[in-house]
Amino acid sequence: MTEMQRLKKEMLRGAVRENVELLDDRVYLERRFRRAEKRWRWPVRVLSAAAAAVVIFLSVNAVSTGGGEKPEVLVVTPRTAFQAPLSGPHQAPRAIAPALFSLEVGKVVLDPGHGGADPGASAASGLAEKEVTLDVARRLRALLEDARYKVAMTREGDRGLVLRDRATFANAERGDLFVSIHVNSIPRKDARAVETYFLGAADGPQIEEVASLENRESGYALSDFRRLLEGVYAGVRQEESRRLAGEVQTSLFAGLHEANRELLDRGVKSAPLAVLIGTEMPGILVEVSCVSNEEEARLLARADYRQRIAASIFQGLRSYMDSREPAPRTAGRKKEKGS
Amino acid sequence: MAGKKDLLHVGIDLGTSRSAIAASNGSRHVVESYVGWPVDMVARKVVKKSILFGREALDSRPMLDLHRPLERGLIKEGSEKDEAAVRELIKHLISLAAPADGQKVNAVVGVPAEALRVSRQNLRTAVKGVADALMIVSEPFAVAYGMDALLHTMIIDIGAGTTDFCVMNGRYPTEDDQRTLTNAGDSVDDQLMMLVKARHPEARFSIHMIREWKEAHAYVGESPGPVQVTAPVGGKPTLLDITSEMRKACESLVAPLSETMLDLLSRVEPEFQEKVRRNVLLAGGGSQIRGLAGVLEKTLADVGGGSVRPIEDPVFAGAIGGLSIALDAPGEDWEQLAG
Ligand SMILES: Nc1ncnc2c1ncn2[C@@H]1O[C@H](COP(=O)(O)OP(=O)(O)O)[C@@H](O)[C@H]1O
Ligand SMILES: [Mg+2]
Ligand SMILES: [Zn+2]
Repeated sequence: MTEMQRLKKEMLRGAVRENVELLDDRVYLERRFRRAEKRWRWPVRVLSAAAAAVVIFLSVNAVSTGGGEKPEVLVVTPRTAFQAPLSGPHQAPRAIAPALFSLEVGKVVLDPGHGGADPGASAASGLAEKEVTLDVARRLRALLEDARYKVAMTREGDRGLVLRDRATFANAERGDLFVSIHVNSIPRKDARAVETYFLGAADGPQIEEVASLENRESGYALSDFRRLLEGVYAGVRQEESRRLAGEVQTSLFAGLHEANRELLDRGVKSAPLAVLIGTEMPGILVEVSCVSNEEEARLLARADYRQRIAASIFQGLRSYMDSREPAPRTAGRKKEKGS
Repeated sequence: MAGKKDLLHVGIDLGTSRSAIAASNGSRHVVESYVGWPVDMVARKVVKKSILFGREALDSRPMLDLHRPLERGLIKEGSEKDEAAVRELIKHLISLAAPADGQKVNAVVGVPAEALRVSRQNLRTAVKGVADALMIVSEPFAVAYGMDALLHTMIIDIGAGTTDFCVMNGRYPTEDDQRTLTNAGDSVDDQLMMLVKARHPEARFSIHMIREWKEAHAYVGESPGPVQVTAPVGGKPTLLDITSEMRKACESLVAPLSETMLDLLSRVEPEFQEKVRRNVLLAGGGSQIRGLAGVLEKTLADVGGGSVRPIEDPVFAGAIGGLSIALDAPGEDWEQLAG
């Protein structure tokens, strides 16, 4: 036996010994395995996931004092630049009807924007976006749970999360709706407006501008995004999102305008939102306030106004959800007076 | 006991970014370590598969629940979905190696050097039933074994998530002979992203583009020429110079790698230190960074001189080493590792 053969034999003996030791922990392993296997048997809960997995992305438009709002959007360059070859699944015919999504909504994922080291936008008064978003999300959760929807939150406390993790969370939860709440900031200090976004190409140059920074943090290639937008799947999602955006925007404006007469209805817009690529679902983003305006900031500091925001969004969600259901799931689900 | 014909031996390199298999029937395959399940019915219709792997999975990302199960080289503790992903990935690799009908599979799987005990248990659990017998070894050990570099050698395997060090001293390596750093390919990507962003704030690019640029131009020390890449600026493809950014990002590996190399060396018995210094091998995708071997050699010059060389086939070295181990291990040993 050569020296090398002897060495190899010695090494192999070591490797086998180590593995056999590992096997000695069999009891532990078996237990773990059984637990894991049970889960795998359930095929990815196809039905509930297919139920109009809709992403709602709410954003409160907040004051910009310096850094201001981080635009969570992805800019799409003109079609000529970096055209990704469309390949494989994305070229499937546009045959899938939105009717496929006509299953009922069961679970809503709420995503309070910012958190932790990232306060988001803040008002001159010191009110931070991350606080408003969490508070509104909690109020919205209570309303949804009362109406027997399941709710999951991407963050429960003051914790930072990147967009990608929020998306990953929403996917893992297999939510049918994903509601992310934000506070934005706009340069015009006199503007008081609400607006709702859904996933799509940027509607105008301002939106592209807003989008210009954050997309680089997203970790997605432009080509991914384009394929998403042009894919059949996106077509269905987008249509659902547009409808949802419409319902929420209408309800939000109506609900807030009662208490805030100078509020502007900036309507529904499409924007290339990076987080929505990751959530792999239809999506909208609602900007519920502009705290860059002093008066708005003052209103946002009031619990009753934040409750009004939550209730208005809730009404919008419910109009959307009710419209998809063949029959209301609970007796108490018909219209009650909004806030 | 099964005869050789009824047995397929395979070596598998389970990597964060790429996984490779080499089999006794001569087949060699490599896939990117992504596993994805369609998120819902619609996605399933579009991708026309119940599970996707590698590049194909990445390309269909918007429609998938996508997992890169070995982030940082380990199966994430407690993530059943990641365990499932590892299992499916190994199953897929073995199916690529195409065992004949009824042929049993003995597999050697290489994992990062410091993969904790519990992580190896997770792996064993995940792979149960996929191979007929399984041996888990540390990845640099598999590389060393395959190259007959079992004596007085240091392997530095620079992967995506981790850089794994292993000193071979004629005995089966213990924890004392090994180190794992998270300074590796992915951390270079992060650095490069940051640096390019700072230099070209107006340009738009993704982490995928960054990685491609790195793989085309990575270098340390003397620049082999200007590094120029194309990215959209204001929607127009524009040539950007990133020569010094590339160097800085790649050189972020030099200090931690040098330190760890010297530290491990200092633990080698003094009479063998010089031999080990003359036998430092760079493996993994990161070994292709131009000038890296030279810079590490300079570090060794300060302690008496040595030689650092990149290995020839960084993509398959681990898998081929694993295959050698599988073929060399006696049948009785494999019987102990069955099930
Ligand atoms: N030519 C190259 N120059 C520099 N880095 C490279 C090159 N090719 C691949 N890489 C990097 O090597 C890493 C992957 O190496 P690999 O050994 O396959 O990793 P793992 O074993 O962790 O999957 C990635 O970070 C990749 O970007
Ligand atoms: Mg590797
Ligand atoms: Zn925000």
